[in-house]
Amino acid sequence: MGGPCEILVDGGPEIEARAACEAAAGVAARIEKKFSRYLDDSVVGVINRDAGTPTPVDDETARLLDFAAVMHGLSGGMFDITSGVLRRAWTFDGKARVPQQAEIDALLPLVGWHRVRWEASVLTLLPQMQIDFGGIGKEYAVDQATDAARRCTAAAVLVNFGGDLAITGPRREGKPWRVGIEAARPGSHAAAALTDLTRGALATSGATYRFIQVDGIRLPHILDPRNGRPVPDAPGSVTVAAETCSQAGMLSTLAMLSGANAEEFLRIEGVRHWIQRSIR
Amino acid sequence: MAEKDKRISAGIAAATCGLLGAAAPSMAPAQESAPTWDIDSAVLYYGESDERVQDASLAIDARRDFGDDRSLDLALHLDTLTGASPSGAALADVPQTFTSPSGRATYTTPAGEVPLDDTFHDTRVAVDAGWSQPFARLYKFNVGLSGSTEFDYQHFGVNLGLSRDFDRRNTTLSAAVAYAQDTIKPVGGLPIPLATMPDAVDEDEQAPNRMGSSDSKNVLDILLGVTQVLGRHSLLRVNYSYSDSSGYLTDPYKLLSVVDPVTGELVARTPTPGSDGPRGIYRFEGRPDSRRRQGLYAEFRQDFSGKVLQLGYRYSTDDWEVDSHTLEARLRLPIGSSNYLEPHLRYYQQTAASFYRYSLVDGDPLPQFATADARLGEFDATTIGLKFGHKTVDGNEWSARLEMYRQSGVLPTAQLIGSQLDNARLPDFDAVILQVGYRFKY
Repeated sequence: MGGPCEILVDGGPEIEARAACEAAAGVAARIEKKFSRYLDDSVVGVINRDAGTPTPVDDETARLLDFAAVMHGLSGGMFDITSGVLRRAWTFDGKARVPQQAEIDALLPLVGWHRVRWEASVLTLLPQMQIDFGGIGKEYAVDQATDAARRCTAAAVLVNFGGDLAITGPRREGKPWRVGIEAARPGSHAAAALTDLTRGALATSGATYRFIQVDGIRLPHILDPRNGRPVPDAPGSVTVAAETCSQAGMLSTLAMLSGANAEEFLRIEGVRHWIQRSIR
Repeated sequence: MAEKDKRISAGIAAATCGLLGAAAPSMAPAQESAPTWDIDSAVLYYGESDERVQDASLAIDARRDFGDDRSLDLALHLDTLTGASPSGAALADVPQTFTSPSGRATYTTPAGEVPLDDTFHDTRVAVDAGWSQPFARLYKFNVGLSGSTEFDYQHFGVNLGLSRDFDRRNTTLSAAVAYAQDTIKPVGGLPIPLATMPDAVDEDEQAPNRMGSSDSKNVLDILLGVTQVLGRHSLLRVNYSYSDSSGYLTDPYKLLSVVDPVTGELVARTPTPGSDGPRGIYRFEGRPDSRRRQGLYAEFRQDFSGKVLQLGYRYSTDDWEVDSHTLEARLRLPIGSSNYLEPHLRYYQQTAASFYRYSLVDGDPLPQFATADARLGEFDATTIGLKFGHKTVDGNEWSARLEMYRQSGVLPTAQLIGSQLDNARLPDFDAVILQVGYRFKY
């Protein structure tokens, strides 16, 4: 899940707590194995390997692809699960290397959800195109794991996969869960903000660990799929609270993609949010 | 543009519902209840025209889900059958007297009517139990027991099934085998096949022309199937079935009239003085003691954004030369979010068994097997129905189904003799089926 994962159970019998943790961990393992872009035999691995030929997908994958398709439309093409190939040009390892425009231009024909054929349960990518469920998969895993944990115990559960988290309800005696919003600055262990949650989920998009530093300016890892370049003036990190982690994750990702307009975007959406701007 | 119109949260929320589906976290308190029974209950009335068979039945099917795809199924069906059923004897232009199945009384059919045996009534109790669960990865198996009892018939069966998923669960291959052992204990004993119907006897006497009191029948069924998901909205299922029945396959209550080779009229008979009995010659039917059937079934389902179309076709053939075709269509039409209407059409057609006879001809050598049971003759049947369903706010479902069934036989004209060419008639009938069901969790 690309970060530390924790499952907290507040009270209840130990056997239920263990079952809830195992169920949530099982869901996480299943989803990671199924959708990881790093595994050749994952669903995503197979789709990418078979790019150019129609690939039938199962129902769960179809629902994720439907979700991605709707998000592509709602975001005006900013959110795009085919944008991962741009990573071939941009390596966000903190080093100062900005790719040549020619490198980016060579990749752009492989980027764009509008280039794929997605009908019924069959996905057809252009040859060499790739998809990944970054920005959806982890949040989806949190929601599914939370649901699995909820089935095991009546006690309140918090599922946190690398900073994206959801809870099943308030803690004992109606007390809220106190959650820290991580600072966008690397090396800082102090929470940038604290919030109390009694329901719903939090998701964070940001460049806490992944960025490219050029002339002292940290360019966050969020790329605009329409031109293949980092979104200008994107915040360092955006955290959003919503009913589900999937919703929160999508709102935080779209806020990042809004760049300088991130604050305005979230204000209009009317959701609780925390935005941290990079220090120049 | 107003700020409100730019908001996309609602679109994201809606799409999230689609993504998480039933797993979407509800905001209700996290109270997870213990596994419950999912119970499907129904009362059904089946009534044939002209006061023939009437069946009132109660069916309760219960499933308990134990998670991880493991489930227990229990079923209880009660039927109460009354009314009259065609005996197989041919219509005649004189009143006809028959000895009743018990062999101890007689009944008379008026002239010009298809003879019905009105002593037909029974109560049947059937129970089924089944367990299914996955094993290894992608495999699932089920085992079951079934039993039923009625006055003159007992059934006991076992079944075993296995299925395996392929291609990311888009394809399922399944195989099932079932074995049943049934016991037939007819009222008045087992008639000797093709023996003549004797006079009625007194209560303390043994009815003649009988060969013991009970016999058995064994049925082996094998089913091989493939289910293929054709997309997110359609499904194709194809089954091959093989069925091997052996033992007593005759209907002990069915008769054939013996007619004159020229006039086609019933051959007259005089009861023994002092006894009551048939005034014509009738013989009990006799069927082969084995039957092998093969069938091919294809079903296609398509979901047109909520409207679900189901089309089915079945072909069946057997070594009695009964070949049949069944065409069936259902269309589920949602009305709002909590109601649906489901029209149903079914057409069935079969050829006659090789030993089907409208009647037996006096003086001809007796065939090895013969039946005049219309269900083994050539006929077609049409069912037209409509079902209405309503889902309550707590997720239970009421339904009501009304169906009309019409069966019409095709006379075996090549077999008809003399007056039969004018007055032969098959026991065609209409039936109405009314069912009210309630599905709920307990």
